[in-house]
Amino acid sequence: MKDSQPFDHRPDPELGAALRAALDPQGDQSAFVVRVMAQYDNALDRASIPTLEVLASWFRPGIAAAAAALVLGFLFGRTVLEPTPATESFDAAMAPAEGPGLAALVMAQDPPDASVVLTSLVEPQ
Amino acid sequence: MGGSGPNESLVARAIAGDRVAFGVLVERYAGQARRVARAVLGDPDDADDAAQDGFLSALVKLAQYDPRRPFGPWLMRIVANAATDRRRRRNVRRSEPLEPSLVGGGPRPDAAAIRSELGDRLRAALAELPERRRKAVVLFDVEGYSHAEIAGILGIPEGTVRSEVFHARRHLRTLLADWKEPTT
Repeated sequence: MKDSQPFDHRPDPELGAALRAALDPQGDQSAFVVRVMAQYDNALDRASIPTLEVLASWFRPGIAAAAAALVLGFLFGRTVLEPTPATESFDAAMAPAEGPGLAALVMAQDPPDASVVLTSLVEPQ
Repeated sequence: MGGSGPNESLVARAIAGDRVAFGVLVERYAGQARRVARAVLGDPDDADDAAQDGFLSALVKLAQYDPRRPFGPWLMRIVANAATDRRRRRNVRRSEPLEPSLVGGGPRPDAAAIRSELGDRLRAALAELPERRRKAVVLFDVEGYSHAEIAGILGIPEGTVRSEVFHARRHLRTLLADWKEPTT
């Protein structure tokens, strides 16, 4: 058998013929064809049944998976998209329920009345 | 190549449910399919079972066949996969130990026995190769498929096919080097 280059793109006829002889089936070719064709109808019948079975086997798990995905999606969406309570502004948070607010006390030119300051500390609301 | 010939009309008829047309395709590709399966499985009976599986699998998949592509590589891919599946199911790796006399270095048989011994030796040498390498060299050197077609059959890059064929050839030639029939 002749040497070939590493990536020879041509088949080696000598090696090919030897391999063919080694692998050629001994039995009658026509007997094999008959054997295959004897299964022709069975193969087509079997092919149609498993398809339906596979689809049927997927049906229930598929429904369950879809339902679970819907529930999870709903819960996740509700958690993520639910509006959070708006944060109050600093001024609004610090504004007393009654009387002048903190800003008014800080900005006033006259010193604050002590009773007012104490009142704001003791009763912030 | 790939079992060349006007397959288009036969395939079209087979897809349409023409049993006779499918039978002609089986007849046309039987030798090829059985050889490829035997390269994978070693045992001729197992190989015939796998080749039959391949043909019947192709029958039920005919609607998926793209008629713009050559039929041979498509069919051989199915047959080769059927053989691989059967080998896996059998769970026996066909790397049966070679008899010392087959590996080389044994006494040389007389000329009359060389041909039959050559077949044994080649099968044993093939069995030593990884499965993909076996398929590649048989598809290339025996069945005449191109590297590109074999790449499609085996689902590997074309460069890998070239490499597999090269390594397989080198292995087979090394083993067979001293077994050539005497030439005059």
